[in-house]
Amino acid sequence: MQVEITGLRKVYPGGVVALKGLDLTIPPGIFGLLGPNGSGKTTLMRILATLLEPTAGNARVGGYDVRTEKASVRELLGYLPEEFGFYPNLTAYEMLDYLALLGRINDPKERQARIEQSLHRVDLDQVTGRRVGTFSSGMKRRLGIAQAILNNPRVLILDEPASGLDPEGRVRLRDLLAELAGDRVVILSTHIVNEVASIAQRLAILRRGQCLFRGRLSDLLEPLKGTTWIIDINEDELSRVRQDFEVTGVFRSATGMQVRVLANAMSHPRGHATEPTLDDAYVALMNRDAAQTDPPCERDAEQDEPA
Amino acid sequence: MPPRQTLLASGTQSKMSRPDLPQLVALFAQECRIAFRGATFWSLAAASALVAAWRAATPGTTSAIAAYRAAEVILLGLGVLAIFLAAASAARDRRQRAAELVLAKPQGSSPSLVLLRFAAVWVSLAVISAIALAATSLAQISVSGTAWHPYPYAHALARTLLPVGLAAALGFSLSTIFTTSLASAVAAIYWVIIPLTRPHVATVFDLTLSQHWPFAALLTALLMLLTAAFYARPIRDRGPATAHLGWAVALLLLAASVAAYSVATNGADALLDPDPILSAIAAQSCLADPRAPGFWLPDAHGRLIALSDHTNRPIVLTFWGPAVGESARSLILIRNLAAESRSLGFARIAVCVDRDRAAMQPFIGDAGSDTVMLWDRGRHFGDGTYAGDSPAAVAYDVGELPTTFILDRERRVTGRIIGDASPDRVRAEVTRAIGR
Repeated sequence: MQVEITGLRKVYPGGVVALKGLDLTIPPGIFGLLGPNGSGKTTLMRILATLLEPTAGNARVGGYDVRTEKASVRELLGYLPEEFGFYPNLTAYEMLDYLALLGRINDPKERQARIEQSLHRVDLDQVTGRRVGTFSSGMKRRLGIAQAILNNPRVLILDEPASGLDPEGRVRLRDLLAELAGDRVVILSTHIVNEVASIAQRLAILRRGQCLFRGRLSDLLEPLKGTTWIIDINEDELSRVRQDFEVTGVFRSATGMQVRVLANAMSHPRGHATEPTLDDAYVALMNRDAAQTDPPCERDAEQDEPA
Repeated sequence: MPPRQTLLASGTQSKMSRPDLPQLVALFAQECRIAFRGATFWSLAAASALVAAWRAATPGTTSAIAAYRAAEVILLGLGVLAIFLAAASAARDRRQRAAELVLAKPQGSSPSLVLLRFAAVWVSLAVISAIALAATSLAQISVSGTAWHPYPYAHALARTLLPVGLAAALGFSLSTIFTTSLASAVAAIYWVIIPLTRPHVATVFDLTLSQHWPFAALLTALLMLLTAAFYARPIRDRGPATAHLGWAVALLLLAASVAAYSVATNGADALLDPDPILSAIAAQSCLADPRAPGFWLPDAHGRLIALSDHTNRPIVLTFWGPAVGESARSLILIRNLAAESRSLGFARIAVCVDRDRAAMQPFIGDAGSDTVMLWDRGRHFGDGTYAGDSPAAVAYDVGELPTTFILDRERRVTGRIIGDASPDRVRAEVTRAIGR
């Protein structure tokens, strides 16, 4: 079971280019999609969830074409959109029952068992009879996750799953995803770097519809080894440090400020070496891509679009 | 990657299957639960019941009249609300932001889901109609003092189902295809305007007429099939509403062509198949009025015309028969008198007493275009018994054709001329009626 993406392009009506010929193979395990807002993560997930037609290229989920074999793809899928809602007049149980029926879980006993199990997994089994309209945003997000795992999917696509969850909810989500992963493909998108670092075995970093990196986290960090530093500075020094170094993070410490920087050699007297993190790698990738890419890249890509 | 057969057979996926009848029934039950739950359904039911019951709560109102009035409320009032209710149901996923959750499921964009949703809305509207008729029934029993009979109420429910279903289909499909409530608002305006301007519009345009049931059924089926086909497309690629305006304009032009053809081949207003039940219900009001017996009778096109539509002026009411020679002379005479004495300002109603409604068609010219030509041929269901073929004539105790009645502004009978009427006699009677 894997997801294969070949030359995937998406141009929205109006000429906005969301994906520019993406190539990606996603094997079983947890796969993180990382990128700033507008990088094409949600577009990619919607295409994989058969909600959006690609303009060009191809994507196959478990061997099924997302364009021509939608029903088969949907049977394999669990999908949690970034923004969603439920019917407020239904209870949590009734809502899942409805979605389970749409998921063609036809046997009533099996449906009941799956619903109860899903609600238990997201810790909503105490409120099954409560109307969804009375739920907090965190509870709704958990119910969203419950509906995504309802059919025990082989491919789970989660768009910003931790958004709106409290710290405890995030920990539970992480545990749940680790438990679910196994031989399944779990794709989760986020723009919060640390979320991916703590959970995903592999990741891809997108920016402006292009893939800047794909692979294991260790592959991403390896080139940065020996080039990551922490400098203890005063507040007055920050602007000078920014001029001299590629800054990947600024933090306050008990004594003043700490700045994480990338550099082949450290010239600052209070600088000391440290291990690279995903944050460092992400910022470095973004900075280098921004330096290489002309700003109106959407226009360029648009001109490439066949008539 | 394993071959497809292995994938399908592996894990829990094998438990899923194509939709079968029990699953569709379960899904329909869920759709009904969603349609029935919430304030909208109960508010509509309460409002419909109150309005319908209020219109029936008059002393002397029979079951037939009460049921007919309730049906009017349902067809017009609930019909308009049905357009918006169905539009809201079609836009439910969009409104609640549940569209992506639903569409990502294997059956989320299937035509059967659309049809089940529409069916659930239709069922909820039928239940609202039934509640309104039940309330009317209670009002009639408690206020009117007349005998209660179930048949007119059952008939009223049956004859409202298709037009209300058509209204719901209009709202549902327009909302799905154009993704805006504006299109539903236009349909709602049409739904109200056409029946309200009924005397001036060809009946072919009036979708609320139950006589149009084959057309209503066909249009409903077409609209829903179109909607189901449209719904199966991916949500984000449906494009703006304007992309579908071409189809809408083409459909409208087609409908207009059918209407134009109908007008060209049948005259301004096509003869509708007689609805004997409608005629029977209409004629019941002969018994409901304490003054000159009031009535609702169908005209040549099946539209119900009430005597009370002609208030504040004297009425010359002629009962006539196509087979009676003097009848035609009377109609011509009264027409000429009206032309000569416009100052008298009386209304002319000619009630044809005959089994064959088409027989009155050749006399419409004799009576003049201003004369309201009605057909008095019905059966008496007010107390559940058969009471004769021409209840209006029976109510006016017409023994001989033609018989002309002169009614004053308060609808009291001031004159009665049996047989051939002379112009002087009619003029004198009308003058007397005005003078009173």
